[in-house]
Amino acid sequence: MGKYILKRLFSLIPIIIGISIIVFLIIHLVPGDPASIILGNNATPEAIKALNAKLGLDKPLIVQYFDWVVHLIQGNFGTSVQTDQSVLPTLINKFLVTFQLTLLSVLIGWIIAIPLGILSAVKANSVVDFILRIISMLGISIPNFAIGTLLLLILSVYFGWYPPIDYVNFWDDPISALKIFILPAITMGIVLSAGIMRMTRTSFIETLNKDFIRTARAKGNPEGTVIVGHGLRNSMIPIITIGGMQIGYLLGGAVIVEQLFSIPGIGQYILNGIYHRDFPVVQGGVLFISLIFVFVNLIVDIIYCWIDPRIKY
Amino acid sequence: MNKKLLMSLLLLVCLSLTACGGNHGTSSSKGGDQLVIAADQDPVGLDPQTVPAASSSRIYSLIYNSLTKINSNFEIEPSLASSWKVSDGGKTITFNLQKGIKFQNGKEFTSDDVKYTFNRILDPKVGAIAKSYFTSIKDIQTPDKNTVVFHLNNPDSAFITNTSSVYTSIISKDVKNLNKEAVGTGPYKLSKIVNGQYVLLKENTDYKLEDKPKIKSIKFNIMKDDEQRLAAIRAGKVDIATLNSDSASLLSKSKNIKIKKYQSMEYSYLGINNDKKPFNNIKVRQALSYVIDRNEIIDTVWKGKAELTGPISPAQKEFAADVKSFPSYTQNLSKAKELLKEAGYPNGFSTVIQTASTYPDMVDTAQVLQQQLKKIGINAKIEQLEWGKYIEVWKSKKMDLMIGRNTSGSDPDRSLRFFFATDGSANVWNYSDNKFDKLVQSALQTTDSNARKNFYQEAQELLVNQDAANLFLASPINYYAVNDRVSHFTPSAAGEAYALLNATLK
Repeated sequence: MGKYILKRLFSLIPIIIGISIIVFLIIHLVPGDPASIILGNNATPEAIKALNAKLGLDKPLIVQYFDWVVHLIQGNFGTSVQTDQSVLPTLINKFLVTFQLTLLSVLIGWIIAIPLGILSAVKANSVVDFILRIISMLGISIPNFAIGTLLLLILSVYFGWYPPIDYVNFWDDPISALKIFILPAITMGIVLSAGIMRMTRTSFIETLNKDFIRTARAKGNPEGTVIVGHGLRNSMIPIITIGGMQIGYLLGGAVIVEQLFSIPGIGQYILNGIYHRDFPVVQGGVLFISLIFVFVNLIVDIIYCWIDPRIKY
Repeated sequence: MNKKLLMSLLLLVCLSLTACGGNHGTSSSKGGDQLVIAADQDPVGLDPQTVPAASSSRIYSLIYNSLTKINSNFEIEPSLASSWKVSDGGKTITFNLQKGIKFQNGKEFTSDDVKYTFNRILDPKVGAIAKSYFTSIKDIQTPDKNTVVFHLNNPDSAFITNTSSVYTSIISKDVKNLNKEAVGTGPYKLSKIVNGQYVLLKENTDYKLEDKPKIKSIKFNIMKDDEQRLAAIRAGKVDIATLNSDSASLLSKSKNIKIKKYQSMEYSYLGINNDKKPFNNIKVRQALSYVIDRNEIIDTVWKGKAELTGPISPAQKEFAADVKSFPSYTQNLSKAKELLKEAGYPNGFSTVIQTASTYPDMVDTAQVLQQQLKKIGINAKIEQLEWGKYIEVWKSKKMDLMIGRNTSGSDPDRSLRFFFATDGSANVWNYSDNKFDKLVQSALQTTDSNARKNFYQEAQELLVNQDAANLFLASPINYYAVNDRVSHFTPSAAGEAYALLNATLK
C-alpha cells in the first residue's frame, strides 16, 4: 500500500509539468494584456509599456515560463498583479472556504441521495421508484444557479430572510457560518444528490440480486440488516467513485454558486484572475486545483481498500 | 463511532436549518451608524489618478478631495480650493487653498501637494486618466503654501471644471503606493478591504470642509449578482443597492424601500471606423444613421428607461444638443436606401458588429441594430468579445462597427474633443474633420460662455448630422433601491459620493 501511494505521488511529476506548460501557454496566448486591462481604455501606450516592464511581461515567453517554474520550486507562486497579495497564501485561504462549502454540500447531497436511492432500489419499478426517478432527473437537469436564485428570492420575498452578508469562518462563528453556507450548500447538494441517487439505485439493484444477499436473507436476518449491513457496503464502490469525482470538481470551486452567494472561494478568485489577466493567480490557481483533483482521486482509491478489503494494490 | 459522527453532523445541519427560519421578519439591517451598500464589483485598485473603474472611484471619491467639486446642477463649488481667480485673458488661474487641512496621515495639506499631484498627472510614465484634460498647462507655481498658480499655454475654459474630477483628487506627496494606501483629505478613511467581500470606510473625524458626512461608517459589500442584491435589499440586509430597471420595477411595491432614479452621464453608441471601406464614405454613415430606429432600442433594450442622446448626455442640460430635432434621429428608410445607392451600394453589403459579452445591454443593442440594418440590405454579423479582447479591438482602430458605452464627462470639452478631435486620446474611430477640430479648440479657448455654447452646438450638429462619425443611441436612467432608514440620499449625475455625503440614517 505504501509503495503504491509512493508510486502514485511520483507519477504526479510529469502531470504537474504538463499542466504547468498548458496553463502557462493558454493564459499567455489569450488576447488582452494585464497592463491595458488594469489601466483601462484611457491608457497611453507609454504607461502600458511601463507597467508591462514592471510586471516582467516584456521578456520572451520561454524566459517568463522558466522564471515562474523556478519560483514555483522555491514555493513562491508569485504575487497578484491586481491586489499585490501573495498568491499561495490567498489560494490556501480561498481553498479552505471552498472546502467547507464542499463538505457541507456533499453531506447534504448524500443525506438526501443515499436513503432515497436505496428506497428506489428496494421498491424498484413501483410508483415510489418512478416518482423518485423523475425527481432525480429534474435535479440533474435544473442548473444550479436557477435553484440558488429561486431559493434566495423566495426566502427574501416571503420570509424576509437573507443570509448574513459578512463571511465568517466556521471555526470563528459556527452558527453564522452555517447560515452563510446553508443556501449554497443546499443548492449544490440538490444537484449532487441527483447523480448519487441514480448511481445508488443502479448499484443497489445489482447488489440485491447477488447470491450473498440471498444467503443473508436465508439465514433469517431482518430485512434492515440485510439492506444496510450487507447491501450498502457492497454497493458503495461506484457511489464512492462518483462522489469522489464530484468532490474533485467542487473543490475546484463552484464559480456560479460562489458568485451568487458571495462566497469568497477559489473559483471566484481564479475567475476574477482570468478577467483581469492576472497571470500569477490563474497559473498558480489552476495548478493548485489540478493537484487537489489528483490528490482526491488518490484518496478515493485508498478508500476503496477500506470499504472492500478484497481490493489490493 | 461512525454512526455517532454522522448523527452529530446531521444534528448540525438541522440546527442550522432552524436557525435560518428563526429570524425572518426583521427588516432593517445592522442599525446604528453604519450604512451598507451592495456593490456589484470589487475595487480594482485605489489610485484615483490611474484607475478609472467605477467600482474603485465610488470608494476613493469618498477618501479624497479635489480642488473643486460639482453639485447636482453642474455648478462648480469650492472644495480644497476656497476660491479662484482667472486672469491674463484666461491664461493664468490662481487657486487659494483652504487653511488648516490635514491628510489622514496627519501631514498638513499645502500647495506643494497640489503641485505634486498635477505633476504626477502630467507625467507620461504614470499614465494618468486626466492627463489629456490638462494639456494646456505650461507651468505650476506655489508662491506660498496656500496659493497655487497655473500658467497656461492658451486659455482653457474647461480647466476649472476639470479640477473637480475625481481623477484629479489631491494626493499627498509622501504616499508612494497609491493602489495600496489611500491617504486623502476626504470625509472618509479607508478602514479595511477584504477582497471579494467588503470595503469598510470610517468617518474622518478631523474633516473640516463644509460637506461633513452625517454617517459614521459606510460599508460596501460586494454582491456581484443582480438577483442577489435584489434579495439582500428586500430582506433589509443592505441599505442601498444599484439595480437594473427590471429589478427596480419589481421593488416598486415593496414596503420600506424607495426607488430613486437619475439620468446617467453614460450613453451607448455604435462606433464606426471612419477610415475603413465602405464606412469611409460619408453617405454610407449617413445611411446608417437614417436606417436605425433609436426609439426601438430605447423601448426594447432599455424597456423605455433611457433617453435619446448625442455625444453629450442629456444629463448635461446646458450643453447637450436637442437631438430630437436632428433629421437623422427619425428613421427614414427611403432616404437611407437612396444614400446607400448614391454611395455605390444599392444592394447593401456585409459587415461585422463587435460587442462585449460582459454587458447584456450591449449584446441586445447589437441584435436590434442587426435587424434594423437588414432593412437596407446590410448584413451584419455579431461578434461577442470577452472584455480583454474587446478593449484590444477598441484600441486597434481596425474594427468595422462596434457597440460601446461612454461616460460623457462633466465638461463638454471631454465629451467632444477627447473622443472625436483628430488628436483626441479616445478617438479610435479615425474620425478627422478640420472644422470640428477648430470648433472644439475655439470653444476651449473662449472665455465667453455663450460663445462657448454656440461652438459646442455647431460641433455636435457637424459630428452627428453631417459626418455621422458615430451613432449615438441611448443614455440610460440609473436606479438605486434605498431602504427607508436612509434619508436625504438623492443620486444625480454629480456622483454617488455627493449624494452619500448628504444622506442621513434613522
